[in-house]
Amino acid sequence: MTVVDAAAAPDRGTAPGPAGRPPRAKMPPHRRKEALLFYLFISPWVIGFLAFLLGPMIFSIYLSFTEWDSFTPPRWVGLENYITLLTDDPIFWKVMGNTAYYAIISVPLGMAVSLFIANLLNKKVRFRKLFRTLVYLPHLIPIVAVALIFQMVFAPGAGPLNQALSLVGITGPNWLMDSAWVKPALILMSLWQAGGGTILLLAGMNGIPKELYEAAEIDGASSMRQFWSVTFPQLTPVIFFNLIMGIIGSFQVFAQVFILTGGGPDNASQMAVPMLFDEAFRFYHMGYGSAIAWILFVVIMAFTALAFATSGRWVFYESEVRS
Amino acid sequence: MSRTRSASPISRSVSRRSLLAGAGAAGAGLGLAACGGGSGGDAGTPESDPDHKDLVMTVWGGEADKLAYQARVDLAKEKFPDYTITLQLIPSENYEQKVQTMISSKTGPDIMQVAENVNVYSSKQQLVPLDDYISAAGLDMAATFGPVGENYRWDGKTYGIPDRSGAMVLYYNKDLFDAAGIEYPTADWDWDTFLDAAKALTDPAEGRFGFGGVGWWPQWFSLVAQNGGAVLDPETGAPSVNSPEAVEALQWAQDLYFTHKVAPTAVDYSNMGPEMGADGAFQQGLVAMNSTGFWAVGGNAGIDGLNWDIAPFFHGKEKAVSAFGSALVIPTAAKNPQASFEIIQFLTSAEGQTPIADLGQDVPANLELQGSDAFLDPEWLEADANLEAFPESADMIFTPKFIPEWNEMQKSVDDAMASFWLGESDAQTTADDLQSRLERVIKPSE
Repeated sequence: MTVVDAAAAPDRGTAPGPAGRPPRAKMPPHRRKEALLFYLFISPWVIGFLAFLLGPMIFSIYLSFTEWDSFTPPRWVGLENYITLLTDDPIFWKVMGNTAYYAIISVPLGMAVSLFIANLLNKKVRFRKLFRTLVYLPHLIPIVAVALIFQMVFAPGAGPLNQALSLVGITGPNWLMDSAWVKPALILMSLWQAGGGTILLLAGMNGIPKELYEAAEIDGASSMRQFWSVTFPQLTPVIFFNLIMGIIGSFQVFAQVFILTGGGPDNASQMAVPMLFDEAFRFYHMGYGSAIAWILFVVIMAFTALAFATSGRWVFYESEVRS
Repeated sequence: MSRTRSASPISRSVSRRSLLAGAGAAGAGLGLAACGGGSGGDAGTPESDPDHKDLVMTVWGGEADKLAYQARVDLAKEKFPDYTITLQLIPSENYEQKVQTMISSKTGPDIMQVAENVNVYSSKQQLVPLDDYISAAGLDMAATFGPVGENYRWDGKTYGIPDRSGAMVLYYNKDLFDAAGIEYPTADWDWDTFLDAAKALTDPAEGRFGFGGVGWWPQWFSLVAQNGGAVLDPETGAPSVNSPEAVEALQWAQDLYFTHKVAPTAVDYSNMGPEMGADGAFQQGLVAMNSTGFWAVGGNAGIDGLNWDIAPFFHGKEKAVSAFGSALVIPTAAKNPQASFEIIQFLTSAEGQTPIADLGQDVPANLELQGSDAFLDPEWLEADANLEAFPESADMIFTPKFIPEWNEMQKSVDDAMASFWLGESDAQTTADDLQSRLERVIKPSE
């Protein structure tokens, strides 16, 4: 969040304003230098966006209104791709349902788990640094390796997960081959990597002023009360950041599905981006794939906007005064 | 097709293909989208520019493939000193996307390897029809390559010259056969003799199965063909997977798993270990027979203490077996197709294919070489394996119609049959369901 603020501040100073604004020459030298530095540092992203993202994005809007096999010239079909997707595609709604199921469960669950772990690791326990490293480590393992590990973990008979379940008398399911269990399996796998969010929360916890806790203690607040009344509100900007990134990331889930299940069994774990990839790059329906991409874009935007719209009610910034 | 060698759907294991594709695919999209419209072009024989002498050839594979292709390209360079031929080996899992990008951005190769996906390109006028070149060169496709010579035809024209082609064969563990007191398999085996042997070789107490299974398309497509059916109509490519012949074959296939219990299900394989499929289970002695392609020769030969051999695949009412192969084609964007063809003609001759045999890469498509000692008794193989099984199978090879919707067809098959191979739906229901899914994606040619 602070990054955004720092970047936006000098921009306000240099943005071309309405007529009658003081001429540029009046800008003090140190401000000029700051503005130049701003443009210098932002330029890789701006140039990268303009050169490598904006062009293809505009082109893909166009493609989504065509039928294009990537070899012969595109044929304009108007809204046909969208209409087919929304009304006639045998798997599109199932796939969107799967993606929403995955996102709506894995994001809050992942945030809860990472908050829980962060709170534990913020206590003064022995080997705290070691534990912090261990919690973050899964985040550094390439997703391909993670998938291989979890293929073993989810093995129906020989896998450690089902063996542990059998110790308490539960017969575990055929995780990756059972259409009812394959999505929970993917969600479980995503939780293993919750350490990424934990690190951000820990950094946020370190930034909470100690005086707040001292004051709370004097008032006789229990540690539970301290967590909910001091720690949690102070962390909401980080939690909000995790939420937004989580929504975007989980709706775009790709590698786990592609590697671990291929979308199977019978599309029970097929998600939006793997479906898009199949259509565009395996079945040569580039226009149809582009239409999926834009529908997904609208869905992600809607959820992100929803999160921003409600954020005023539960996200507190330090400078803010609330009654 | 050898590049899907480990991607058996019954053992939905993490194939190396999907692993790497997963790692690289996420970013692959945008670059292509920026390239703009493709080339149209008509289907006639294009002009050749004799001054274009720098030719690019794209193939897929790993290190072993690189060695064999490079050795062949070197031979071609000696033969045609005027040309420079640059070999581009692309990892299998990226091959289709990569050549798609190259062709759409008009930087396509001059010579290109294709397999079942050949008509993705030919149906979109991206390949040069070779018939004029073939007749001018006096190349007898049937005599040189057998039935495989017909594989790469589309809409009455020939687009590819077969390069590699090995039938699926039956690998068997001699020690397990000896222990069970059964005769080794022969080309005379039919479904009944096979099933009797598989039952005798199965030992649940040892966790051992008689057979690796038939869940991969080359396996059960073969069974359907052996029973007089066809998943895809050989003429039009129209789906006919719910014909009585096909359903009967499917039921027999499913019974191997759940009635006779002679083959491991996907659940059994996933309990054997990660990335485990029939090829790996065979090497560990967990299955006594396995039907797969040539690549297992090298794999099995590397296992100490594995006493194995090869026989032709068994037959049903008819003889039919799938093959794994690829062909060389000329994209329409090639500037000097005449030169491309001359080089392809050399590469697919017995002389040009010799490194395939010498290095043990694959089965060469050229029948003359396939029947020679260079292939049958190679120096690289110490084991005394009966490689005769490959040429012996050559005339029973059946090839499903290579429809342009090949990849979509594969996806429909995987989707519709997932529950079938787990024993959750019967053959008739599955076949009817698959038929309707295939009718949705496949537009048959007339």
